[in-house]
Parts: sequence; structure tokens; C-alpha cells
Amino acid sequence: MAVKAFSDEWAQQFKDEVNKSSVYKSAAKGWKWTVGLVVEAEPDKNFPEAKGVVMDLFDGSARDITVGTAADAQRCDFVITAPYSRWKQVATKELDATKGMLQGKLKLKGDLPTIVRYTKASQEMTECTTRVPVEWPDEN
Amino acid sequence: MHDAGPRRMAGRKLKARPKTVEYADAEPSAFASMLGGLIEANVESRPEKQRDFGSLAARVGIFVTDIDEGVTLDFQGGHLVVHNGLAPRRDLTIRAEAGTVMNLSNLKIGLFGMPVYYDEVGRGVAAKLLQRKLRIDGLLGNLATLNTVTRIFSVQ
Repeated sequence: MAVKAFSDEWAQQFKDEVNKSSVYKSAAKGWKWTVGLVVEAEPDKNFPEAKGVVMDLFDGSARDITVGTAADAQRCDFVITAPYSRWKQVATKELDATKGMLQGKLKLKGDLPTIVRYTKASQEMTECTTRVPVEWPDEN
Repeated sequence: MHDAGPRRMAGRKLKARPKTVEYADAEPSAFASMLGGLIEANVESRPEKQRDFGSLAARVGIFVTDIDEGVTLDFQGGHLVVHNGLAPRRDLTIRAEAGTVMNLSNLKIGLFGMPVYYDEVGRGVAAKLLQRKLRIDGLLGNLATLNTVTRIFSVQ
């Protein structure tokens, strides 16, 4: 059943997908930093307020994934920021996250060598988001 | 005892330390900022990379074929200037898809400072080379430069 984008239910299903992934488990071995996704508001897309996804990831598993404010996400060790519609493109496989970062469509803050070292893990993390069936606010 | 040291210091014009990485364009592209930032972080945190960085003088182009964007890395022996796009007079030009460019920076460095092509990442890079999905122009005569750039670039 589809869940509302960036809702608590979405966060739970996303976490379950990450923890089910054997690819992520092996690619993210040694990872010990928090990751925040800032989803910027786009009122014309029926997404009126910015949200923040806080991911507590540790050594190949997701200990917790929660949805809060943009400020919550900005406090993480790594922060990726993009408007709502870009994140939708990532989650629907219209935009590859690596390409998006190289093009500046997704803005990354954090230690670059570390994130590059875990490219495979971040690609699999993106795959996990695509496996969660989502109800998008601009498609209602 | 009279100590003139601090006063002399105050009067002396201190030479500003040049930045490790600078950008040729007023608005560096996201790709230029990312590569420049990656190399800067690598060089400043790893002494073995500082030696390579200090000795390298070459102009290296990197073009990402699936986003149609490139940069030129102008290594000037301890200083790097990053240009948006492919600038002229390049010694080497690497052309590959985004994923392969990221994999290049994940190549492990093995014995004698040579990139490792026999592990999973290395085999992937070698396969792209054979399939011509990774193309390196100017390789002839610049193999040592390529290895040095790979070592500076590698986050492993």
C-alpha cells in the first residue's frame, strides 16, 4: 500500500527496505555518520513546508530514520538538500543521485572523500527509496 | 633581556600561503566544486598525497559523458586551478560516465603506488576501458601522470 511521501510511515518503510538490503549491508560496512535529507518546500507542488529526513546509519544498517524539520536534517554529519520535485525524481528513478550531485541538482554538505568512498552504499540507499510505494502530494 | 622578536614579526610582511585549490571561474560548476573539494580534502588530510600533489605539473581534463560536463584540473606543483569545461593544452583527458568517474576515485593504490585493477572496483574500471566506455586521450607518454592523478584522486 502506498504511503504519503516523507511521512512517518514512509520513513518506517524506507528503513525496512534499507535493513532488508544485503547490498547496502556490505557496501556500508564501517559507515558511522548521520545523514540528513532536506526536502525544500514547493507550495505550487502541494508541498508547502520544508521537511527533514534524519537517518541514523551505522555499519551497514539503519538504526533509525525519522521525518522532522529541515533544521533537524541540517544538524547531521552529511546533508543533502534539494527541492521536493528533485527528490521525487530521485525516488522515481528519473534522476540518478550521483549525476544529480555532479550537476548540482542535489547539494551535498559533508566530508567529500568519505561520501565518495561509500558511493555504492549511497546508490543502494537510493534504490531502497525507489522500492517504497509513494503517494505524491502533487498527484492527488 | 630585550626580545625584539615579536616586534620584528609584527613589522614583517607575512607571505600569504597559497590556497591548495583555486577556481578559474567566478562561478565554478557543481562538478568543478566537487572535484576541487575532493582533491583539497584528500591532499590536506593525507601526507602521501601531498608529495604527489607537490610534484605534479599537468593539465588533466575530465569529461562526464552522461551529463555532458567537464572540468580541467591544472596541477601546478603544489597548487591546483580548476576550470569549468575542457580548457586547451591538456596533457590527458579522461572521458567516462558519472559512475565510472566516481569509481576512479575509489581505486585502491597498491604496490609501488600503482592503482589496483584486480579487485572489484579495479576490474570494473578495466572493463569500462576495454568497452571504450572509459577513454583516456593522451595516455601515450603520460602513464606516470595518470598514475599520479589517480593516487591524488583516490579516497581509498
